[in-house]
Amino acid sequence: MSKFKKDGGKPAPAINTSSLPDIVFMLLFFFMVATTTKEIDPLVKVIPAQGVGLTDLTPFKQRSTVDFVYLGEPLKGDASKFDKGVAVQYDGLLHPDGINYIGKWKLAKFNDKPAEMTDPKENIITCFKADEKVPMGVIFTARDILRDLDFNSIAYSASEMGNKNDYSIREQ
Amino acid sequence: MAKRVVPEINAGSMADIAFLLLIFFLVTTTMDKDTAYLRKIPKKVESEITPPPVEEKNIYKIVINSKQVIQARDSIIKPEDISTLNSRIKHFYTINRGKKADRELNYPYYAYGTKELYSTNLQNQQNRLDALENQEQTDGNTEKLIEQTLAAIEKWQEKLDMMNLYTEFSGKKEMPEIAFEAHVRLESFVDTDYSAYVAVQSEVQRAVTELRDEEAESLFGTTWTTMNRYIIQNELEDTPELRQYKKHTELIETLYPLRLIEVKPKR
Repeated sequence: MSKFKKDGGKPAPAINTSSLPDIVFMLLFFFMVATTTKEIDPLVKVIPAQGVGLTDLTPFKQRSTVDFVYLGEPLKGDASKFDKGVAVQYDGLLHPDGINYIGKWKLAKFNDKPAEMTDPKENIITCFKADEKVPMGVIFTARDILRDLDFNSIAYSASEMGNKNDYSIREQ
Repeated sequence: MAKRVVPEINAGSMADIAFLLLIFFLVTTTMDKDTAYLRKIPKKVESEITPPPVEEKNIYKIVINSKQVIQARDSIIKPEDISTLNSRIKHFYTINRGKKADRELNYPYYAYGTKELYSTNLQNQQNRLDALENQEQTDGNTEKLIEQTLAAIEKWQEKLDMMNLYTEFSGKKEMPEIAFEAHVRLESFVDTDYSAYVAVQSEVQRAVTELRDEEAESLFGTTWTTMNRYIIQNELEDTPELRQYKKHTELIETLYPLRLIEVKPKR
């Protein structure tokens, strides 16, 4: 006597999936717009420092006028092999000379580009992506080398602090 | 002729292809942004002349030691109170602003430029240039002097343009300018943590940005941050809006300059 007849004999109607590609393409385009390509796999451990009022480097990356230097403890191997326990990563390698190699690296990068592609030296930013525990002495050594080579623009990398109101500073 | 029947293309695998692409992009990209503080390293100057000492009132000295304890002028700031630096630096910038008498002696003074002053200076330099060019005998020195005068003319012209812009938007006849020697001096130790150094940079940046934003809001109705972001993103284009924004930010940056000296640690 039930109102809803069970028509057991007929199979369930097929779900129309013709709009599935549209949905997936929409997702794809969203991710293509909202993300940036990964530069390189990190070889050092970097916990970013916190700050407010930072400049977004994306436009500089698009113009490829920014070079990143990573400083921190090495992910693999012994930290004590490096000067002050700070390994320095240039593009894909940890150089044994540490920070003193930065001059050669910058010059090589600058000379590799064809002349019509290069920006003037003072427009190329060297961005230090340092771990929060890296001592400033290392960065000032790099500053001296860069100044002597006329690479005058530098950037201190940090992450936006957001709503919390505390800088994460190690207390001793 | 009979119409050819075009067979329907099977689009069933389209979703698979799209998924594959989607997953590829998910794997190879990141969401996090790269953000940083842009700074300039001063050029190396080789000269034997020792520069005259800067008066103490014009320096805001911040020292961070190896235990991340901060000394700002005479006060000691613990790492957890670092966010008070913001208001201290603002105080340093603004305490004597608009004052011509009763100034705080230990803080940088302000100069007040007027249209007349800049015009007179411009005229004086122009006269000097005319005199130099009409000179009978010329030697190597004359060329140097002409060059110097041309640079001075350019500088005063820029000041005059800025003054006009300021008067146009604020209606005031005088432009307050902080003493050109006034600067923030940031000293650190060899083993100061990067995070503490960046925190101080952050506070300095925040103080100056807030002052600039306030000023820009009252003059132009938009903040300095907005204009600056627009300039960085559209730097390669040449639109009237961009040129206008560049002029506006230049004025704001003259009113509130960020003069930061980062001293190389000795120990």
